[in-house]
Amino acid sequence: MNTHMNRISKVAYLLAIYLFLYMPILVLIVYSFNDSSFSLLWQGFTFRWYESLMQNTDLQIVALHSLLVGFLAATGATGIGTLAAVSLYRYQFFGKKLIHGLIFILIISPDIVTGISLLILFSTLKMSLGFWTLLLSHITFCIPFVTVTVYSRLTGQDKNLFEAAKDLGATEGTIFRRILIPLLWPAICAGWLLSFTLSMDDVIISFFVTGPEFDILPLKIFSMVRVGIKPEINALCSVMFGLTLVIVLVYQLTLGKNNDAI
Amino acid sequence: MLFKNLISLVLLSVLLCPFNTTFAADNVLNIYTWAGYLSDAVISQFETETGIHVNVATYVNNEVLYAKLKANPDSGYDIIMPSSYFISRMRKQALIQKIDHSKLAHYRNINPAFLSKEHDPDNEYSIPYLWNGTGIAYNIRYQAEKSVNTWQDFWLPRYKNQLLLIDDTRECFSMALIALGYSVNDQDPDHIKAAFEKLKALMPNVKLFNMDAQRSIYLDEDITIGMGLNGDIFLASAQNSYLRFIYPKEGFVITLDSIAIPVEAKHVANAHLFIDFVLRPEIAKKIALESGFSTPNRAAKELLPLKVRTNPILYPDAETLKKGQFQTDVGEAAPLYEKYFERLKLEE
Repeated sequence: MNTHMNRISKVAYLLAIYLFLYMPILVLIVYSFNDSSFSLLWQGFTFRWYESLMQNTDLQIVALHSLLVGFLAATGATGIGTLAAVSLYRYQFFGKKLIHGLIFILIISPDIVTGISLLILFSTLKMSLGFWTLLLSHITFCIPFVTVTVYSRLTGQDKNLFEAAKDLGATEGTIFRRILIPLLWPAICAGWLLSFTLSMDDVIISFFVTGPEFDILPLKIFSMVRVGIKPEINALCSVMFGLTLVIVLVYQLTLGKNNDAI
Repeated sequence: MLFKNLISLVLLSVLLCPFNTTFAADNVLNIYTWAGYLSDAVISQFETETGIHVNVATYVNNEVLYAKLKANPDSGYDIIMPSSYFISRMRKQALIQKIDHSKLAHYRNINPAFLSKEHDPDNEYSIPYLWNGTGIAYNIRYQAEKSVNTWQDFWLPRYKNQLLLIDDTRECFSMALIALGYSVNDQDPDHIKAAFEKLKALMPNVKLFNMDAQRSIYLDEDITIGMGLNGDIFLASAQNSYLRFIYPKEGFVITLDSIAIPVEAKHVANAHLFIDFVLRPEIAKKIALESGFSTPNRAAKELLPLKVRTNPILYPDAETLKKGQFQTDVGEAAPLYEKYFERLKLEE
């Protein structure tokens, strides 16, 4: 009896948490089918917001901008962040502890500080604001997250592995390519996805460092608040949510298995 | 191997990236404006006619625009559209430059009622683009028709816990200042304090402070009386025929968004071409219809559909329009307004 109650309360608790997490997204998706421009009451089912989204080239362009920056920033940050994690774990050098600490500081420091300091840096260097400054900034704020993710997986590894490899005649390069990368692959992917998400929804830093030629989705949506968020935006967000779902599914199906095997 | 693939992928995407070209091209115009103020159709017509490539970025409020320009005057925008009180602040701080009227063939289309105001007395720095008025919105299913005429009516006990106030310092204080018979740009600390006391007395009647969701709130009848912007209520009333909008007898605020050119703009000639383009009656008409706000362009107004141009919400008669007050920068008094507004909401 007692265990039975226990199980019920566990399920109820889990259900409540998932409801809390997913309810807002469900509401957003439901409203993307609401047949009204402004009203928040249910006025009937329609696909017209998805149709008008297909015709809204402006929104499509900024969505593409965001995807492009997200993809490049995640890739760049993953490369640099992984290298940083590996060198912090494997090698001894002067100032190692300091550098390790600085990475955590970057994670905690507020976005607005990062944003303003990057802006000051770019204007001192006389760089014109736009795609490149945005990409550099996104890579910058994503690196620490990748480093931390990869580093935590490294600390779980057996150091003897590398020594064994060396005994068998592997060079540092071979160790990196044939042992480290395969071992770290799940963490690298997780770091990439984390960076991609961070880049996709950053508003504050992007606001400071992007220029007139390059508007991105979060800034665009944010600025549309005054004229009222049209269900078109709901439709767009639903599409993006669907896309995320697909990415996570693919990740689970392909890498999730490997993860267990290692 | 994997790592090599990664690198080549990055390089490939950078090479394929079409944005490299925008840095080379110089025939560009960079616009920073409110969302919904410029449609794709208007922009592409300008691009085809002139061969100038237009980049549009959007901001959510004047403060954001100001912060961006102040933090980095060299940020590359050629056209901005701040509200009148930010025009006066930016003018004083030399963030915007003079506009050459000799390049604007269609300047005469602007209704003089929107020119030579305190924020830009000689019209040197700003060109009126769109305007909206803050009045009273109410729903005749819940409030008797014609039962509200003045801001002063808001203080009647019958509106207990019913009103919507616009969640903006200047808008709320302007309403109280007008009700007290002062100017909306008053900088006298005693008058501001009186307005604060007046607003405090109103709090029992206030149900909600809101800025951006007025349309849906009034449309869905979550609130049936309160402050409203004419453009928003006009759009909402098309779907809810019980909605009414009035310009209070004592006066009201006109928020005028004007075109300005930042001091560091790189494409000043293109900016002038663009200003003259949007002053053309048929273009200004398109802009007004698509944004849902009112145009200060006389010639454009005449081209609007009869239903729109004779609508008293969007286009009140000259007599009413005269009672409109334009906001200008309140300078040193601004922090005082902010302080009182915060106190007002805290003591709620």
